Amino acid sequence: MSGDTSSHLVLTDVVVTFNGFQAVNGLHMTVGKGELRCLIGPNGAGKTTALDTICGQTKPASGKIMFKGKSLNKLEEHQISRAGIGRKFQVPSVFRELTVRENLQVAYCKHTGVLANAFRFGRGQEADGLEKLAELVGLQGQLNTSAGHLSHGQTQWLEIALLLAQDPELILMDEPTAGMTVQETRKTADLFNRLKGRHTLIVVEHDMSFVKEIGEVISVMHQGRMLAEGTAQQIERNQEVREAYLGSGGITGA
Amino acid sequence: METLTAQIVTGLSISSILLLVALGLAIIYGTTGVINMAHGEFVMLGAYSAWFLQTFFGIGLIESLVVIFAMVAALGWVIERVVIRYLYRRPLDTILATWGIGVMAQQAIRLSVGGELRYVEMPPVMDGSIVLLGIEMSAFRLFVLVLAIALFAFTWYLMYRTTIGMKLRAITQNREIASCFGINSGRIYSFTFAYGAGLAGLAGALVSPLKSVSPEMGTTYVVDAFMIVVLGGVESLIGTMASSAILGQLYGFVAFFSNDTFAKALVLLAIVVVIRFRPQGLFAAKVRA
Amino acid sequence: MSRRTAVQIAVYGIVCLAILLVPTFYDDAFVLNKYSRYLVLGILAIALSLSWGYTGILNLGQATSFGLGSYCMAMGLKLRTVPVHTGSAGLPDFMVWNNVDKLPWFWEPFNSMTFAIFAGIAVPVIFAVLLGWFIFRGRVTGVYVAIITLAVLVVVNLLIIDQQRFTGGFNGITDLAQLEIFGLTFDAYGSSSYYLIAVSLTFSLFFALAITKSKAGLILQAIRDQENRVRYFGYDVATFKMFSFAVSAGIAGLAGMLYTIVMEFASPTFLGVPLSLAIVIWCAVGGRQSLLGAMLGAIVVTGMQGALSESETFLDTWTLIMGFLFVVVVLFLPKGLAGAAEMLLDRIWPSAGNGNGRANKSTSRNTLPRKTEPAE
Repeated sequence: MSGDTSSHLVLTDVVVTFNGFQAVNGLHMTVGKGELRCLIGPNGAGKTTALDTICGQTKPASGKIMFKGKSLNKLEEHQISRAGIGRKFQVPSVFRELTVRENLQVAYCKHTGVLANAFRFGRGQEADGLEKLAELVGLQGQLNTSAGHLSHGQTQWLEIALLLAQDPELILMDEPTAGMTVQETRKTADLFNRLKGRHTLIVVEHDMSFVKEIGEVISVMHQGRMLAEGTAQQIERNQEVREAYLGSGGITGA
Repeated sequence: METLTAQIVTGLSISSILLLVALGLAIIYGTTGVINMAHGEFVMLGAYSAWFLQTFFGIGLIESLVVIFAMVAALGWVIERVVIRYLYRRPLDTILATWGIGVMAQQAIRLSVGGELRYVEMPPVMDGSIVLLGIEMSAFRLFVLVLAIALFAFTWYLMYRTTIGMKLRAITQNREIASCFGINSGRIYSFTFAYGAGLAGLAGALVSPLKSVSPEMGTTYVVDAFMIVVLGGVESLIGTMASSAILGQLYGFVAFFSNDTFAKALVLLAIVVVIRFRPQGLFAAKVRA
Repeated sequence: MSRRTAVQIAVYGIVCLAILLVPTFYDDAFVLNKYSRYLVLGILAIALSLSWGYTGILNLGQATSFGLGSYCMAMGLKLRTVPVHTGSAGLPDFMVWNNVDKLPWFWEPFNSMTFAIFAGIAVPVIFAVLLGWFIFRGRVTGVYVAIITLAVLVVVNLLIIDQQRFTGGFNGITDLAQLEIFGLTFDAYGSSSYYLIAVSLTFSLFFALAITKSKAGLILQAIRDQENRVRYFGYDVATFKMFSFAVSAGIAGLAGMLYTIVMEFASPTFLGVPLSLAIVIWCAVGGRQSLLGAMLGAIVVTGMQGALSESETFLDTWTLIMGFLFVVVVLFLPKGLAGAAEMLLDRIWPSAGNGNGRANKSTSRNTLPRKTEPAE
């Protein structure tokens, strides 16, 4: 379904420690090009930390992170972004003092140099694309509103739109549906299904019904390691996964 | 050898004054995150209070210390209630607002008692000098040293061995959670600010016989004090003590070998480098953000 | 171009034009000199507005660039004086008094006025790039940036005072020649200097405006808002900050050179802490997120100060009021008077926020007053 399944992103034996505490402990993960991978796991499993290491926010103590055959280990955040990786944060992270339109303009980042941007005024070509994006996420009426005035759900949508404007090859999504209504969640699922194939996606999510709707392969993390990988059915039947979730209300309630 | 020990004693004397000034700032900055640029003016007001009480009421310096502490602390409390408490979420703006307050304090003094230099007499009992371990030291400077250490110990006790200190540290760690447990963070902040201001006032009173008293005397102190706090690490009282000692000795030594200006410039540069490479301070433990 | 931007450019243009026309109404040399001084400080405020208001870099050491520019100009002009007090070596008088017998190497190039003018901008810019590299590559932010810039200002100031043999120390560099370029002489008390300054001000204002309206300007504002998020769009935050810091230093350097021309000397007070903090006040009161607001803030505040400076009691009272006003502005008007004015304008004329003419009525109500509106 996803065409070329050559490994797009490869994590090998990644270890992340905070003051001796191992948040990620020997993580292995391979994601193919155009794949939509869901990453689930109980609280504290290290899912967000795993995303952090990919996008450069946290540097791994050891292990290798390869994207398109190149190591990301020594790159800074902006260099990783330029390599083609975009990130949506758990707490929606947008520019609250800027308008929706300005947010999208910043996210549209084909040129990242200072001087390339210092002489850039006419934004004619971009503008159409940005307005279409705003329409896609239902913010066309809010283009001139400060992002700080949006509702929580709208802020989530705005950040998703920012990622679409950025148009990275690999998109990392940290709990994209948190705070969304059922309809909004469905809309997100539709969007993600359209994105896969053209983009590679890694989605951290708690909502199992959402995961089932979008995910082909699901990876389960537990205590900083990869516990299991497979389809939704395989995962739900997996004994180890059940044990990991024991006490937290089962996998669907997590 | 003799010059060396004399040098160390000079450094110690500088250190004790620095510690007095920095202690109040450290507590305020460490717990509330407010950069109190008016701290130097609290020092200045303390010095003027000493001068005022001595000149108009004939009260000696030692006897007036408690009154001075109370007066400046009360002023700190008012400022916290009226201005600072609206700014806890805007740390950069605290620099600006407190600086504005500092300007107002200086001008108020200029307009009321004039801009000329004032002098405070040393307590007669301590006018002489004492020979200690073969080194001659001014009795008053020794008194300041002892008092600085005592105040430091008292503050440390307050912070780490009393309920109020525990509450204060809880708020520092997480204000919202602490409030959930019924700690009145507003009151604790006011108390902290008042206490810090009071300490600055004491420092001002104690330096007043050593230096001339003027409306702008606070400015130099606030820079030094701030550097000490940054150097020592924001949440570490021991760090404040250690960096006061280091900075005092450094000032003493560099000034001995070259001139005063050069000493100041060098110390400032060292501090810039520290901030750049160790923003958590020299003595603070690294905490997970 | 949005209507908002067009209105803004028109307003900026009118203010600049009004400033340029002042000498046709007042030709009192003393008054013009005084106004020139205020305008120079206005340029300085534009510089800080760019770095503080638009990028979020609270530079408490803005006077460093100002002072460096001022000293460069003073060095150039000093070497043009006929060496009345000096021997045959053509040494500045204060060097002779300090027993310097040879012009130091770093004074040598200032024999060329072209170099001096070039250096007046280049030196502050290079200094800012190096300092910016040191600060921003290390990801030092917020309060610590303020402390470092302040500390560096004090160090530079101390060094200039200390190195009296080469800098004139406390007294600064005095008894300067008048600037002559292209056959024009710029007398501090003549209208030529006033025009030079008014034109420089116009140029600086529109140059800074162009930057804030460019996409780079938008990215700078995004950095001010959430610098970490900007990184994940591939922008190198440190480079953008260095850019803003350096441009700001360049404008401040220009202001410094002009200040030397109107004051006829350069002094260590030009890089003093009081001046540096005063710049922050002007910007805060006028509105740091408005170039025009910051500039007018500087001109009005220093103008009032100048008007009251005849009596020391007046001046002290004024400073007390200023301190009070400053605290009030910080507390209640974080965007200064310009921000308040804009909020008022938006009330009266709600569509001003929308350049595209098809605004959603329900949203224009919650639109915050904004400095920049993107072009169509």
